[in-house]
Amino acid sequence: MKKKNSALAVFLQPIWSENPINIQMLGICSALAVTVQLKTAFVMALSMTFVLSCSSFIISLLRKQIPKNIRIIVELSVISTFVILTDEFLRAFLYDISKQLSVFVGLIITNCIVMGRAESFALSNPPHLSFIDGLGNGAGYGSVLILVAFLRELLGAGKLFGIQVVPDFVYSSGYENSGFMLLAPAAFIIIGMLVWLQKVLTKGK
Amino acid sequence: MSDKLKSIGFALILCLVCSFMLTAASTRLKPYQTLNIRTDRKKNILKAIGLIDRGKGYDVETIDRMYAKHIFKFTVDKTGTITDKQTKSQTEHDDALPLYLAIDKENKIRSYIIPIETRGLWGKIYGYMALKKDGSTIDGFTVYKHSETPGLGGEIENSWFQKNFVGKKIVDANNNFVSISIAKGKASDQIDKNHLPNYVDGISGATLTGSYLTRGLQKILSEYEPISLRFRQDILQCRMQKDIPWCENEKEK
Repeated sequence: MKKKNSALAVFLQPIWSENPINIQMLGICSALAVTVQLKTAFVMALSMTFVLSCSSFIISLLRKQIPKNIRIIVELSVISTFVILTDEFLRAFLYDISKQLSVFVGLIITNCIVMGRAESFALSNPPHLSFIDGLGNGAGYGSVLILVAFLRELLGAGKLFGIQVVPDFVYSSGYENSGFMLLAPAAFIIIGMLVWLQKVLTKGK
Repeated sequence: MSDKLKSIGFALILCLVCSFMLTAASTRLKPYQTLNIRTDRKKNILKAIGLIDRGKGYDVETIDRMYAKHIFKFTVDKTGTITDKQTKSQTEHDDALPLYLAIDKENKIRSYIIPIETRGLWGKIYGYMALKKDGSTIDGFTVYKHSETPGLGGEIENSWFQKNFVGKKIVDANNNFVSISIAKGKASDQIDKNHLPNYVDGISGATLTGSYLTRGLQKILSEYEPISLRFRQDILQCRMQKDIPWCENEKEK
């Protein structure tokens, strides 16, 4: 029973109180780049979660064998293997999206969240917890990504998942899409506001 | 010493396992990826002539069918004469140029499509430019592969940039070849009215990508100029296409 509880905590913590983007300020670079559309943000979030949980799992499995002096390199090779696998899969089955994500899937390797979790969690915790920790962090990262993308696509293009949601009569009565939302600074501002919002909400507790 | 050996051994085994997995994945997925790339090119050719909507999904069969129906590929030499594919590979003409012809639903030539391959800021830019059969109006422009900075020069692959090309001219008011240029920023602010048909809006923050693309298009379009000229003079019609089915149909009529 106790074990179950802690697994749940490991999963939930990074989603809210230890959110990698809003609280730890990690992985912001890719959060700016892939959040113009929900579709790319969604695929990016899934890829990130996959890489994060699998690499944490493997690193945690090997944690007693990994020689301390080469551990960073070992972590990087495991992570990059999963990143390349993801990239190859996207290119084979989701070609259009992989073109839009361009370099950012490859750049998951350099995303501080992945290295950070491997160093600070997977190396000192059992595999199943590390896997859940990866899932949780992926979800934490992904939820921010999807929220930002939701706002940017809705306000910037009037669409969600590429489908027009702002009806025509709104446009004809003078509403315009905000082109600014499609640019990277808009993501900065939205993320900043999310950070602020979360700080305010957690302070109240 | 044994620690060092252990590290090296561990690293070796890890490398082996990782590379084995990656090789396996890469070999298994290769056919899907090449199919995707080929379909993507066909899709871009169709996009250049506006036959398919941008941003809409199409399955492979639809693309193949539309491509087979509307696009014919062959090689022409510098004078615009069609060259035989077989002899081309044997003698290896350096001046052989690939060209695609697009036909519309009534089996008439709609436009001809020129493959674009030019230097960009960070790497090569690949795409297609379709010119209408009048030999002077751009029917469409697409980019399917590039390595420009995402968000800046990378915008060349986005439809807002590519749409600017549609309807622009590669000739001036006197029908002399001038190519098409990418302006710095908004074209209408910089260029006087008479030259506006030869300029498209640039991308802010991507001046260099724009100027490389301008130069590349200039070079490629001038290579294809004899062909454009023939289209312009309207003498190409059936001479270039004698081995293509719809031309014979035309003769029979």
